Amino acid sequence: MRKIFLVIMMLLGLNLFAAETIKVGALVDLSGGTADVGKPYADGIKDCVKWFNENGGINGRQIELLIVDYGYKIPNALAAYKEFKMKKVVAIHGWGTGDTEALTKFVAEDKMPYVSASYSEHLADGKKKPYNFFVGASYSDQTEAALKFVKDKGGKNVAFIYNNTGFGRSPFFPDGENAAKKLGLNLVDKQVVDLKALDATAQMLNLKKSGAQYAIIQETYMATSTILKDAKKNGLNTRFIGLNWTFDKPLIKIAGAASEGFYGVSPFAFWDEDNNEGIRFLKQLNKKYNPSIQEREVNYVQGFASMYVLLSAIKNVKGKITGEAIKYSLESMKNFNTMGLTPPVTFTKDVHKGVRAAKIYEIKNGKIVPVTGVITLD
Amino acid sequence: MNYINCGNFKTSYEKDAAIYQTTFSKICIYSFLIGLFVLPFFLNSYLLYIMNMIFISVIAAVGLNILTGFTGLISLGHGAFIGVGAFAAGYLISKFSFGFFIIIPLAAIITSMVGVIFGTPSLRLKDLYLSIATLAAQFILEFIFIRAERITGGVNGMPVDAPVFFGYTIDNDFRFYFFSLIYTIIMVTAAKNIIRTKIGRAFVSIRDNYIAAETMGVDLFRYKLLSFAISSFYAGVAGALWAYYVRFITPEHFTINVSIQYLSMIIIGGLGSILGSIFGTIFMVVLPELLRHIIGIFSHYLPVLEQIFPAIREAFYGLVIILFLLFEPEGLARRWNLIKAYWKLWPFSY
Amino acid sequence: MEFFLQILIAGIVIGSIYSLVALGFTLIYKSTGIVNFAQGELLLVGAYICLHIIVSYNVPFVFAFIITLLFMFFFGFLIEKIFLRKMIGEPIISIIMLTIGLSSLLKSIVQIIWGTDTRTYPEIFPHEPVTIGFLNISVVYIFSIIAIAIFLIIFTIFFKTTKTGVAMRAVASDQQASLSMGIDVRKIFALSWAIAAVVSTVGGILIGNINGINTNLSQFGLKVFPVVILGGLDSILGAIVGGVIIGVLENMVGGYIDPLIGGGAKDVFPFVAMIIILLIKPYGLFGTVKVEKV
Repeated sequence: MRKIFLVIMMLLGLNLFAAETIKVGALVDLSGGTADVGKPYADGIKDCVKWFNENGGINGRQIELLIVDYGYKIPNALAAYKEFKMKKVVAIHGWGTGDTEALTKFVAEDKMPYVSASYSEHLADGKKKPYNFFVGASYSDQTEAALKFVKDKGGKNVAFIYNNTGFGRSPFFPDGENAAKKLGLNLVDKQVVDLKALDATAQMLNLKKSGAQYAIIQETYMATSTILKDAKKNGLNTRFIGLNWTFDKPLIKIAGAASEGFYGVSPFAFWDEDNNEGIRFLKQLNKKYNPSIQEREVNYVQGFASMYVLLSAIKNVKGKITGEAIKYSLESMKNFNTMGLTPPVTFTKDVHKGVRAAKIYEIKNGKIVPVTGVITLD
Repeated sequence: MNYINCGNFKTSYEKDAAIYQTTFSKICIYSFLIGLFVLPFFLNSYLLYIMNMIFISVIAAVGLNILTGFTGLISLGHGAFIGVGAFAAGYLISKFSFGFFIIIPLAAIITSMVGVIFGTPSLRLKDLYLSIATLAAQFILEFIFIRAERITGGVNGMPVDAPVFFGYTIDNDFRFYFFSLIYTIIMVTAAKNIIRTKIGRAFVSIRDNYIAAETMGVDLFRYKLLSFAISSFYAGVAGALWAYYVRFITPEHFTINVSIQYLSMIIIGGLGSILGSIFGTIFMVVLPELLRHIIGIFSHYLPVLEQIFPAIREAFYGLVIILFLLFEPEGLARRWNLIKAYWKLWPFSY
Repeated sequence: MEFFLQILIAGIVIGSIYSLVALGFTLIYKSTGIVNFAQGELLLVGAYICLHIIVSYNVPFVFAFIITLLFMFFFGFLIEKIFLRKMIGEPIISIIMLTIGLSSLLKSIVQIIWGTDTRTYPEIFPHEPVTIGFLNISVVYIFSIIAIAIFLIIFTIFFKTTKTGVAMRAVASDQQASLSMGIDVRKIFALSWAIAAVVSTVGGILIGNINGINTNLSQFGLKVFPVVILGGLDSILGAIVGGVIIGVLENMVGGYIDPLIGGGAKDVFPFVAMIIILLIKPYGLFGTVKVEKV
């Protein structure tokens, strides 16, 4: 027992010698329920840090990224947070809704800036959750945009499809329900499909019975593919609209023909938008860092953009880098340009959701095409 | 002064059943405990965290060992019962402002009652069927945790306030260390004592040959239920402590993997041995952390390791369980006894 | 009415896969007395191996299917030889824990090699449903039901007529007597594991064709318990009947009760059913009632 202690202390001691770096913690999911989007996202984060470090780091200091794969299990996230705190990270880039919301109390107490990949509306209130931020359009805003789209298309009956995690429920209860009511749409069905579900037959049959013309999906690629395939198998006429995590090439790959006609809401630029400055830049960067990977998912773009915002905020801090200073730096960002990878990012003291606009796309002939212009969300 | 036992020479029943067989071992144990109280001043936050995890897990492991190791009833639902304790504590804290003095025992009693509810129908069954029933209990309780949102907060989880001890808020690892250490000492001593009494002997007889036990007049159903209740009580205490420690509990904390982990702990440590439970717990808590550090170092050279680490960790668990079962089925406690026996006679060889 | 029939059919398909897995489980339990917690992982490994062969070596489905079955046959042999030989005579809790450890190990090895993403089989069956009367049935479902029925018939014939099949039934019924009759019990043990692996693999491949595979597939291993409790731990017929019943009931709950309570009931229902069965008929529909001799 004692020997183990000594070994641990030695290892920790060795860690202390790299003192000049700025440590940033990152929670990622490489093996859990959201790993299909988590892996490319993590790659985006890593590449962003690498790029920053190759270009002078943050005012001369290198950034040390401490990545922990918590497998989408909240207990692991809590343990990792403790470790990050002990290793004195200046900020944390988090991932999932459940664990981010679980950590908000601690994060506020510890004054630890926390940028999450969760776009839950609960995290957007700067007054209640002063240290939580996210670079994305909130799920509730995306849902509202989708519902408006449905109304414009003349739809009357909508349904929500989600899973039993904080992430799954965030867009719909209560924000989605309220938005539907406000727009005069009938919420005729709610179905639960697990993140890793391989069968959604019963849910699709029920959806068919309910007569929903449009259904909004909050899942990742895997469950979405199951839903679309089972919908097709059971002859459903419902059109599906997915929120951002459901929507990109991997879905087309695993859902195949069933993905035709699938709508998606996304504030991020997709990999084949070659006219986008940021995409062109990332293609170059990716070729340099990962020459063997030609195609990247939108999640890679997201990860990069999100980390870019955080690191830029840290860079703009004048004086000592503390949690509070980073918070103020983030809150002073107005129409920050992320090379076009996202709409311009704005944070204020009260509003910590950085992106307020998105586009709606459709999968036509196996390709992702936009069907609306940029929709501003408020 | 005799340091060790040289043959059996007990002069009364009390002496035979005593926990400290010699004055020497008494001194050893007391100095060890004093050492434990002094230790935290030298440890950093991370090591304190590990110790706290060990303390909480020991309580739950000892509870499970009473049920499985001593009474022979395999439970696959221990994780869920710990969850009951945690959510009960959390709920009570949010509704009433009792101190932890009252909350922890109260939560444990609630867990005990839940244990009895699940135990009563299942204990008519034998061996395997009981294990399967506890497996069902695990899933049903998990389902309830997720759906009973008003009580448990559902998937969003439940925040828990820190316990307050005469004005000191116990909200960091250092303070929590003493808090949990005291509880651990109490619970482990209680367990050791239970085993020494009539109840403990009844348990063991049920495990070894329940038909003979019944013919001897041991009321099987009553004692089995008691064992279940006691083990659930322990799970409840561990759960309540856990709630106070992480201060945010979700149903994900209490899955079947947790139940399997505890089973591994007591098997690796040694069934039917309180000391074994402690060993097993230390082993299962420290090993993954150690593994993480080692992989962390190697992943500088082989970054792909970082990606597959959780899978490696799972594989490791499975492998360790299998290896222990194949090569050391009676666990670490047996190893410890062998080592002690060796030193007993040292420097003589026989 | 259409809704009901659709749910029923989906239930029969899933139920028949449960039957296959339960069949493997029961086989092992009957012959060796071991409770195999790793049954689900055998399904998982089989499904992934088949996918791997199809995708990496571009082998047509039928050949990949057969190769996988052969591979899993030997895999089952191997597991029995390495892990379970040593455990003969150990208390039951140790054996249960060993299979639990094995399941953990297998699942993580699959994860290490193939990752956790959902992977799909290349399209072997068209996605468009076939219309029979007024019902839309997916082609995969039809194929699955037929395949499983064929397998079950093959197995029944195997056990009733071939020498090895009869030998297995003998060992399952009374080990001592079989030994004295000259049956090589060790070989039978190994064979039961091998067959169990094969049977689960068939189930896994069929599921894979429906919507793809991911590491969640091993859940089937847990669902097998309600099935065998319902059917009787040591009854092959019970495994088959129990599987279909549980599959149908589960889907019925999913179809009719889940919408009322917001989901999730479908997954917990088999376990609730199991508790109820344990209360009223612990030995299941076809299981032999254990009489304890002192």
